[in-house]
Amino acid sequence: MTGNWQRAVPVYNQPIRTRALYVLGALTGVAVLLALYRVFAGLGPASGMNDAYSWGIWKTFNVMVLTGLGSGGFAVGIGAWVFYRQRLHSVMRAALLISFLAYFCGLILLTIDVGRPWNLYWMLFPWNWNTHSPLLEVMVCMSVYAMFPLAVENVPPILERLYDDRPSLRPLIERAMGIIAKGYPYVIGLAYALPMMHQSSLGALMLLAGERVHTLWQTPWLPLLYVWAAAFMGYACVAGTLLFCSLMWKRARDMQVLTEMSYITAGLIASWWLFRVGDLMYRNRLRAAFAVNPYSFVFWLEMVLLAGSVVFLVVSSRKQNTQLMFHGHLLAAIGGALYRFNPTTFAFQAKPGAFYFPSAIEILISLGFVALGIAGFMAAVKLLPILPAPLSEWRGMEAHGKARSGLVAQGYAAAQD
Amino acid sequence: MPNGTGVPRQSIASHLKRCGFQRRDFLQLCTTLMVTAPVGLALTDKANALEVAEAVGKTRRPSVIWLHFQDCTGCSETLLRTSKPDVADLILNVISLDYHETLMAASGTQAEAALHHAMKENAGKYVLVCEGSIPTKNNGAYLTLGGKPGLQLLEEVGANAAAVIAMGSCASWGGVPSADPNPTGAVGVDSIIKDKPVINLPGCPPNPYALLAVVLEFAVMGKLPAVDAHKRPTFAYDRFIHDHCPRRGHFDAGRFAKDFGDEGHRQGWCLYKLGCKGPVTHAACSTRHFNEIPDVWPIGVGAPCVGCTEKGVGFSIPIFQTVDIHAATPPEAFPLVHAPTGTVSTAAAALVGAIVGGVGTAAVMASKRLPGKEPAVTPSETNSEVTGKSAKSGGE
Amino acid sequence: MNRRDALRKLAGGGAVALATGFVSTTALTAPAEAEPVRASKEAVGMLYDATRCVGCQSCVAACAEANNLKPDTRLTGLHQASLDLNHLTKNIIKLYKPTGASTWSYVKQQCMHCVDPACVAGCSFHALTKDPQTGIVAWDASKCSGCRYCQIVCPYSVPRFEWEGFNPKIVKCEMCRHRLAEGKEPACTSVCPTHAVIFGKREELLAEAKKRIAENPGKYFEDRVYGDKEGGGTQVLYLSAVPFENIALPELGGESVAQSSLKWQRKIYQYLAVPAVLYVSMVGVMRHNWKHHQEHLREEEEKTGLRPQL
Repeated sequence: MTGNWQRAVPVYNQPIRTRALYVLGALTGVAVLLALYRVFAGLGPASGMNDAYSWGIWKTFNVMVLTGLGSGGFAVGIGAWVFYRQRLHSVMRAALLISFLAYFCGLILLTIDVGRPWNLYWMLFPWNWNTHSPLLEVMVCMSVYAMFPLAVENVPPILERLYDDRPSLRPLIERAMGIIAKGYPYVIGLAYALPMMHQSSLGALMLLAGERVHTLWQTPWLPLLYVWAAAFMGYACVAGTLLFCSLMWKRARDMQVLTEMSYITAGLIASWWLFRVGDLMYRNRLRAAFAVNPYSFVFWLEMVLLAGSVVFLVVSSRKQNTQLMFHGHLLAAIGGALYRFNPTTFAFQAKPGAFYFPSAIEILISLGFVALGIAGFMAAVKLLPILPAPLSEWRGMEAHGKARSGLVAQGYAAAQD
Repeated sequence: MPNGTGVPRQSIASHLKRCGFQRRDFLQLCTTLMVTAPVGLALTDKANALEVAEAVGKTRRPSVIWLHFQDCTGCSETLLRTSKPDVADLILNVISLDYHETLMAASGTQAEAALHHAMKENAGKYVLVCEGSIPTKNNGAYLTLGGKPGLQLLEEVGANAAAVIAMGSCASWGGVPSADPNPTGAVGVDSIIKDKPVINLPGCPPNPYALLAVVLEFAVMGKLPAVDAHKRPTFAYDRFIHDHCPRRGHFDAGRFAKDFGDEGHRQGWCLYKLGCKGPVTHAACSTRHFNEIPDVWPIGVGAPCVGCTEKGVGFSIPIFQTVDIHAATPPEAFPLVHAPTGTVSTAAAALVGAIVGGVGTAAVMASKRLPGKEPAVTPSETNSEVTGKSAKSGGE
Repeated sequence: MNRRDALRKLAGGGAVALATGFVSTTALTAPAEAEPVRASKEAVGMLYDATRCVGCQSCVAACAEANNLKPDTRLTGLHQASLDLNHLTKNIIKLYKPTGASTWSYVKQQCMHCVDPACVAGCSFHALTKDPQTGIVAWDASKCSGCRYCQIVCPYSVPRFEWEGFNPKIVKCEMCRHRLAEGKEPACTSVCPTHAVIFGKREELLAEAKKRIAENPGKYFEDRVYGDKEGGGTQVLYLSAVPFENIALPELGGESVAQSSLKWQRKIYQYLAVPAVLYVSMVGVMRHNWKHHQEHLREEEEKTGLRPQL
């Protein structure tokens, strides 16, 4: 590797308890209290959902959009492990952490959103599963994925930290690492197969809604388009987050990796874009895009954002311009989010006269758990070796550590021997 | 009792006063008239009962000739069911009932003479009230009055009348005698008299105040009230019973009496399923009631309306057979096919705005602080640089 | 390469070939047109003739009584009448009357008891089930997780959710199956004064509807009965003088959404073939890459002297 990102290093030189963390924590606290209110008062008072729009932003944003953005774990992973793009290995940990937090918060919100959560135990009895139901597939697959492969993938940084901090646990940790290493290909095989299944099932959910989804979004290829969108959203989110973090915590950027990611993202988006348009043309629906109404406007908004992102990503990669690159990933994330958000909300025509807008409580609960995820990320990257950095950063950490406490220095020094 | 001695008639007010009719009771009569006909009658189109009393009081008592044909005298009976004024005051002092076979004391040739006298004295000015249908088969042979066929009598008396009022369903369109197979060829008055204004007051019997209102309107204002296509005054016949029924709420809520005496019937629920013809019957019974006692009317006492005012309904459709309600206009306040849902709260809108704004600003600020052009890739660390602190790292 | 390695590679390759063959056969030969679901012979239903309905709403009152539904006294309706189906209203009469128009029509709204219901296809834990004999779609509180997916997929927007309280239910017409068990008719059909809505076997009701159409040509919209084939067919049939779209009956194709989405699902998930092949092939590739990665990590460790990071 000749790039900047050679090793995952905790953001050791930043305090963990910052003002931002407190604000995020407060938002989470508010959300938890409001969630309690939802438990006792019911979904109606706690949200703007109604019989015409029975899915509000919790399912459509926190689950569909955020797990889409959190698809870096599988999307980047497939690039790194299946296609063996060496460079992508350096960002895997960040991608996996983002995925884990996105899924964790998404699943929490899914539990808050269902009206009778005590009956979710039926998930444990396969003989009671309705195998025709895409929602069942989503629920089971997402839970299994988050609890097993994704969790396992996120364990190594924790083990590493423990190894350095707790010498007494070292034999245990080494055994654990051995087990993980042995089963790794099998585990991450699941970590890629499962998300492909449930991200596409998220699309299949709206297939059953038939003509209630506007013609510019409804297509038999919806599952494929959803998982494809999850892929580029995952890349965009990881790259964008890394750019943002490098800015916040003054870390070096690795343009080789970022460029590769940008090209991959651009390629995924461009092919997706063409497929979607092609599918519309094949089914003779494209002319709906030229009608003058809010639906066509939103359709073009999605397509323009994504086309714009491709342009930004390609140009920025060519010119090694991080500003443009950041814009590109941002547009990709927003465009993809909009695409995944619309079929259940904006493009969902329950019946004429129906209207939905999230209530303040609904927004605060959604926001609060997103805040939890962000806070978790901020804390985790400072405690654990996750964000990629040059080797010099690692050396700096050792020096910093030696200066702070002998015990830690001992741990680091031992590793060197 | 009308007299044939030629004493000049006085105004109604002075007449009533002479007979000791209380002013309060007269005002009550005028109020009753206003309630009977709140709209559609020029007579009652006044600010208050006092004004009506003034107009009525000034008028001379109208001369009324009442003929009976194929009747049951029920329509005369209904006239008697007034208390203020009672029947005597009514027929003597408010109107001048110059000929009425049931109520007049005379009979035989005396009665005939009274009729001729009244016709001659008030030629062109009297109001002819007809009760009962007129048989037309066999040249009207099925009814003879004083040796004359009823048909002929009607034509004669009607010739000099100022206006003709067909009192009751029989006189209006044939009523009971005209029920299938109508063996006597019974018809209403307006099938016979074509050259004079005819007002139909169908009902079996109709409310007496309707008659009084029409007669006084004619006497006081000099014209007849507005009528519909069937010559029925609109002030009383312009609406279906169903549209003004006190039990409509039960109909709209689906509460029906299914059998006489059942729980629903006891609760006063809608009688539609028992055959009530309210939805197809034009009449004012649902608000005017009878016998001056509130709720004394068929539906009010638990009997379904039989549609007695309506030709083709009353005495035609079986009493307990339900009718179609196609003509009923749906009420304006009815659940619509597409009910609106959902609103935006200001707090929610503000939050969304704040979040979008916040995220957008952060993104813009972040992108601005990113270096436009990233320097070339820094060489990776070689083993020689492992020892010693690197200048790049640091605890910033 | 020794014999063991060769055998292993052969076995691996053979397994992959077998799996691919298996998948191709199942996915490609899976019936593109799976058998459409048909109504059972004993399927019961209702026939609603909008031209006979007078909007008396006795069916609404009877339904509320038979199903023990409290009156909807929230100030969102008219007196004690709701403006729409909701958790207190399983059946409602609505009015279609454009302003200033002389034509109008009432419409009765309740569960259509579709022949191939989308809600049953979508419900994760079989909380909504279709009785194989009567065809009635029923809700089971012990299985429902309140995810409201049924509300999303129902083409007629029928299932309603109890938005208040912590024990919410999904509420919809279940054709008074408790009354049917006692040999009675559903409450609404038993009280209708004009027999606008009648109960019976779906086959017989279809025949009756077609008879009415034949006897009154031009009276009913497009001379057809709604629910015969729409969306795969429904067990509550509609006759109307005004266009069906005006009384909130969408013009659906002849294939139910459950059927059309199942076609695609089958291609991918039959026998879990595609996911299995995907998994096996990815694992195969990654095992190979894993070995390379291990070598790479070892190189890094030697170069930097630091423990390798996975």
